[in-house]
Amino acid sequence: MQIERTTLAWLRTGLTFVVGLMVLLRLLVHRSAVAAAVCAAVAIPLAVAITVLSWSRHRQAERRLRAEDPLPDGALHASLTALAVLAGLIGTVYVLLM
Amino acid sequence: MASENDDPACRRWPHRLYGVGDEPDPRFTLANERTFLAWIRTALALMAAGVGVEALNAAAGTGSDPLRTSLAVLLLLAGVVCSVAAFGRWMTMERALRTNSPLPPPKLAPILGFGLGLIGLGALALLLISGF
Repeated sequence: MQIERTTLAWLRTGLTFVVGLMVLLRLLVHRSAVAAAVCAAVAIPLAVAITVLSWSRHRQAERRLRAEDPLPDGALHASLTALAVLAGLIGTVYVLLM
Repeated sequence: MASENDDPACRRWPHRLYGVGDEPDPRFTLANERTFLAWIRTALALMAAGVGVEALNAAAGTGSDPLRTSLAVLLLLAGVVCSVAAFGRWMTMERALRTNSPLPPPKLAPILGFGLGLIGLGALALLLISGF
């Protein structure tokens, strides 16, 4: 139950990033198509990968909990943080590009 | 990334964190994870607000206004700070759980609360200055 709730929180966050980035890049296209393409190539796959990995992490966590092993580590947290920082930078580029 | 390995007890990243203390109750670890995600979503909301300020400005067709641009950049930077702090806090909390020490209070929460209040007032002032 706890794992399920946590996984849903991961999926919710990941999907929000995917959608949010798409909207942001759609806005960015009007200012610089090149910048939008570069940012899309980096950020969208990362956001999708994190969302997909959070699901495999769910299964891993369930397996480990049953085996009484420690839960998965913090690598995905760091990836998500990096994605959030990247999204912030893309947003800043959008705001500052006239 | 979250890769499979034969011995989950070692090689967990960050090593600095998993090298101390012992495994807490999994429920606490999971709750800490959800709190981290909530902080990240808060950061995302801040960034969305920053982009929104600029997008609405562009949609209105008004010229660039240095005040509005700085408000947008301020919100975006707040979002970046918030996401980095989210990860730092997740580590701090996990370490506290592992060593059975008291959980530190969120340092960013009051700053964020008051800061958002000020930003709200600033945005209101901008709205009143620029007319409806």
